[in-house]
Amino acid sequence: MTETTDSTGAFADVPGLRGEVAFRLLVEAVQDYAIFLLGPDGRVLTWNLGAQRIKGYTAKEIIGQHFSRFYTPEDLEAGRPMTLLGWAAEYGRFEDEGWRVRKDGTRFWADVILTALRDEHGRPYAFAKITRDLTERRAAEERERMLLVEKEARAAAEEALRARDRFLSIASHELKTPAASLSLTVESLQRASASGRLDADRLAGGLARLATATDRLGRLVEELLDVSRLAAGRMAFRRDPTNLVAIVRDVVDRFTVADEQPRVTLGGRSDAWVSGDASRLDQVVTNLIDNAVKYSEPDSSIEVDVTHLDGGVLLAVRDRGFGLDEEASSRLFEAFGRGMNAEHIPGLGLGLFISHQIVERHEGRIEAIPRTDGPGSEFRVWLPAGSPG
Amino acid sequence: MTAPGRILVVEDDEMLRLALLEVLDDEGHEARAAAHGAEALEILDEWEPEVLVLDLMMPVMDAFEFREHQRRQGAAPGARILVLSAARDLDGAAHRLDADAYLAKPFGLDEMLTTVDRLLDDRRAGDAAAR
Repeated sequence: MTETTDSTGAFADVPGLRGEVAFRLLVEAVQDYAIFLLGPDGRVLTWNLGAQRIKGYTAKEIIGQHFSRFYTPEDLEAGRPMTLLGWAAEYGRFEDEGWRVRKDGTRFWADVILTALRDEHGRPYAFAKITRDLTERRAAEERERMLLVEKEARAAAEEALRARDRFLSIASHELKTPAASLSLTVESLQRASASGRLDADRLAGGLARLATATDRLGRLVEELLDVSRLAAGRMAFRRDPTNLVAIVRDVVDRFTVADEQPRVTLGGRSDAWVSGDASRLDQVVTNLIDNAVKYSEPDSSIEVDVTHLDGGVLLAVRDRGFGLDEEASSRLFEAFGRGMNAEHIPGLGLGLFISHQIVERHEGRIEAIPRTDGPGSEFRVWLPAGSPG
Repeated sequence: MTAPGRILVVEDDEMLRLALLEVLDDEGHEARAAAHGAEALEILDEWEPEVLVLDLMMPVMDAFEFREHQRRQGAAPGARILVLSAARDLDGAAHRLDADAYLAKPFGLDEMLTTVDRLLDDRRAGDAAAR
């Protein structure tokens, strides 16, 4: 069998069916596409079954009418019908997707191809317009998109739940351990006392443990309260002239154990003024140095310095620790965002979240970067400069 | 009344570790302590406790890793295991560790001492049966 390339050939032996007639019949019979001709002025010249099915007009109703009636009022206001025709005239062919209006006023989502038919001088004498109704497909795509959005939202909610669960595990572990020390020590002191074995040494040792455990519980509860205050926007901040270097010096002193080689060294300026809340800024500095201590070997050094930068004050805390877990770095400052390499580190994992919030309330910035001069991390806090008090 | 025994406490929290040592010592037990699994393995090299008191989550080497090493090395093979933990799924963890008993933190002193005594008796009964 030979393929027919001659458009008239296929019907050549059907009596009374000349090629053009056959082609017109074909176009007229197509139901899935609106195929029709427009005059150069945009009036409808021909109409097919598909056009009638999609747009709702019969040939009798629409032939001779301007095609702008297929457009929405918004498109009409923007002059879109004639613009599209102009583009088709200019480029020869133009494809458009958008809302169109049926005879009954309802809208459908159309894919439209406009092709300019030109005379021998290149002037368009008509436009062929092929329109497909993509409402169903668009609705399906929209449903798919909504499903995806929903899926993402659900995944985010599930992750939030998992994070909350992780946090509850951590919090329960952190709270129950000092609670276990408390109860065990109290009971053991009671026993020793009852059996007459409670000497001064035993009592002093027990009381010291009780003091440490209550202090730790108190700090954990305070931290939890901070998070709840921050979340509710109820944390009050003072704005006093504050020397950040004095705060940092105090904190560094607290980390220096008597008779031991100091691990934390302070460099940089001797004063650097900011406007802020001294006790909250103390909390930030304490958190950063405490983290540096917790996340590095006991004998490694921690460098702290305060300098001036970009009209503000820059605090840098550098350690030689385990470094930053890349995946966790981005979530470091979120609540419950502690790194996976932090599983066995004591604490609630809320310190950086709280610090971030405090720094933001001071119009400052906080960031964590890997050190470029070897292993370890550097935490930086920048605060706008204030005037000395 | 159970005769005093040899007990190894593996607990990373220093306060709790000291408190445990003290109360076990009060009862006349010979108690030693390690801050994590790796330290405990070193102690097992030269000393065979009858009961191991294990915390779950510890730095350097947690209870799961420790048990794996301990079993592979055949260290303190007959020792009974008491797990102490604040973990929420303590039941499942104790099962995975093949523990003989577990107590959720915070626990009572009497409860802890009674459990230790029971495990010591059990260990000794097992020993006698093996002979």
